[in-house]
Amino acid sequence: MIAGAWLCLIAPLAGTVLILLGGTRIPRRAAAWISTISVFVAFAGAVWSFFGLRANASHDAHISTAYTWLAAGSFKVPMQVLVDPLSTMMMLIVSGVGALIVLYSIGYMDGDDEERRYFAYMSLFVFSMLMLVEGGNLLLLLVGWGLVGLSSYLLIGFWHERPSAVAAAKKAFIMNAFGDATMALALFVLIAHGSSLGYSESFATASHLSQTTVNLVALGLLGGAVAKSAQIPLQTWLPDAMEGPTPVSALIHAATMVTAGVYLIARTHPIFEDAPTIALVAAGLGAATLLMAGLIALVQTDIKRVIAYSTMSQIGYMFMAVGVGAYANGMFHLMTHAFFKALLFMTAGLVIHAIADEQDIRKLRGVGKLMPLTKWAFLLGALALVGIPAFSGFFSKDPILAADLHDHWYGVVFWLCGLVGAFLTGLYTFRLYFIVFPGEPSAFVREHLHLHHGKEGPWTMLVPVGVLTVLAVLGGWIQFQPFWEPITHWLAPVVPTEPAAVATNWDDAITSLIAPILGALGITVAWAIYGKKQLLAVPKIPWLQRLLEHKFYFDEAYDWAFYRPAVATATLWRRDFEEPIVLTAGSDLGEGTLELGEQTQRIQTGLLRTYVFFLGAGMAVIAVVFLLVR
Amino acid sequence: MLLGPGVVWYLGIAAFLFATGAFGVLVRRNPLIVLLSLEIMLNGANLALIAFSRHAGNGAGQIFALSVMAVAAAEVCVGLGLVVAIHRRRLALDVDALSELRG
Repeated sequence: MIAGAWLCLIAPLAGTVLILLGGTRIPRRAAAWISTISVFVAFAGAVWSFFGLRANASHDAHISTAYTWLAAGSFKVPMQVLVDPLSTMMMLIVSGVGALIVLYSIGYMDGDDEERRYFAYMSLFVFSMLMLVEGGNLLLLLVGWGLVGLSSYLLIGFWHERPSAVAAAKKAFIMNAFGDATMALALFVLIAHGSSLGYSESFATASHLSQTTVNLVALGLLGGAVAKSAQIPLQTWLPDAMEGPTPVSALIHAATMVTAGVYLIARTHPIFEDAPTIALVAAGLGAATLLMAGLIALVQTDIKRVIAYSTMSQIGYMFMAVGVGAYANGMFHLMTHAFFKALLFMTAGLVIHAIADEQDIRKLRGVGKLMPLTKWAFLLGALALVGIPAFSGFFSKDPILAADLHDHWYGVVFWLCGLVGAFLTGLYTFRLYFIVFPGEPSAFVREHLHLHHGKEGPWTMLVPVGVLTVLAVLGGWIQFQPFWEPITHWLAPVVPTEPAAVATNWDDAITSLIAPILGALGITVAWAIYGKKQLLAVPKIPWLQRLLEHKFYFDEAYDWAFYRPAVATATLWRRDFEEPIVLTAGSDLGEGTLELGEQTQRIQTGLLRTYVFFLGAGMAVIAVVFLLVR
Repeated sequence: MLLGPGVVWYLGIAAFLFATGAFGVLVRRNPLIVLLSLEIMLNGANLALIAFSRHAGNGAGQIFALSVMAVAAAEVCVGLGLVVAIHRRRLALDVDALSELRG
């Protein structure tokens, strides 16, 4: 079992190292397969640990320590992996979805100039993400946290000849670095008050801290979670991150990395339970983000950006769940979301791949007629996303809302936000569907669509899409609250649901009735506006449209608040300090020395008699001084 | 013990000799005369050394004077050698003309 966990962690790293060492000596295809196989091996390791842990009746946490990685006095950080129900679940999701997406990449990236680099990064990302979820203490979690940020940066900027991709990569990295910093500060507080960063020791330390201090620790952790999961106020990097290749968006910016914030809160839940205010802030941020992202998604015209905003919105649901203590519901939604969101990105990738990298949905009208399989896969993924009964989103999203409903008055507010979000989800998802897939193909599509040997893609792309379609449709049946709840039971030893967040049957029933109706209503409205018959016109509200197209002016606000003052300060210092003082100091010093030399050389007359005279005069002066001083 | 005139007289003559020599060094341009004036300065100094030596009843000053004479003889050798070398190269025997070290 432990061996499986280590195998899971090491295999992708080995893949990266092999590709790096191989360099141009191995063919591109070989690099792709090395990466794919390494991630499949990781998945096998994860399955091994899962069954090992399941065979163990008590589902205890197992920690395996390899060696002491850092030691400073009594403070020691061992290199260790943790196998418990929560980490095993994440391992399965990360390596499973990851393996499918890396396989899909083989077809998607075929013919790219730098495939080897791409696959080395992909393996590195999977390794980092597994490090994050398997690390046996908070510092290893932070190491994984930083490494996924790095891989995300490398992959967003993979097409480095595109300035927009480079800018997006930098933006993502800087915003994530901010989150990393707040997390590091939280860890510093824990180190200062305890001597270990192991999970249970840290939670024990946190429980003895004053309320203010524990709030600060929780706030620092929340900062990291918010930055990584693209929640308000650090959300602006995620839509820009769509500059990366589409499989990267599917893996990192939909299925795994961006959900790390949810995992973090679930993992460190005792700290958040000690700081209920901060947990509430997390839920509130999630609720605000899900509404805002849902609204912005209504006006986006880039197929990937619509899905990216949808991701933000869905992570908002997960934050709402873990914020009120319904950890298992949040983790379950994390899992189903990984399935259907990866599926949506991959079907979008099939379209983009077939149609010469065009992403503007206004040009892609009527693709569905030429790509029926893609259309069906997208439709099923979209139904899962909206939460139509029998599809996976229904099983995972509604219990989140039900859990919120049960939690004080603010729970009702969250519940209402979630219901509005459900309507928006139906609206924006099917706006995308009705614009892109049904109907007669546009002239642009007819001209540019090139199928792969008459198929919609190579088998490496179609197989993962097929598998994920099955998972997106059926994956939700694993848990059907309140009838059977294996995931809640599985996670209970590590992250028991807070009593306040346990939904009653009545909560579940009413939510499961209202939310799908609202989702279906959203679909109907989308059909009425964007469907073939166009029963309704697109509502024209200029100020609202402007507000949404500018994404609530967050980018502009950050531009004014941070970028411009920084540039202004820098310009001022350059103009008033660097240019007049620093830049000229060197030449001034040199010129001054030269001038001094030229002046002093005039003393050297070459006339013996002047030397003698000055010698004598000097002696006379010294003599007089001695006489006077004495 | 010093017999005869007091030490001040000897010092006066020494100062006079020294000043004469210094004046010669400063105003004359012929290197031979300059060397000669240097010798006069050294002798002024020697006279002062010997006068103090006798005044203080200490022989060290006289030993100094002997050393100065020896050094002066050596110095004159070098100086005269230079004068001969200048003459051999058909240069003007004028210290002001030998100003190639001017900066």
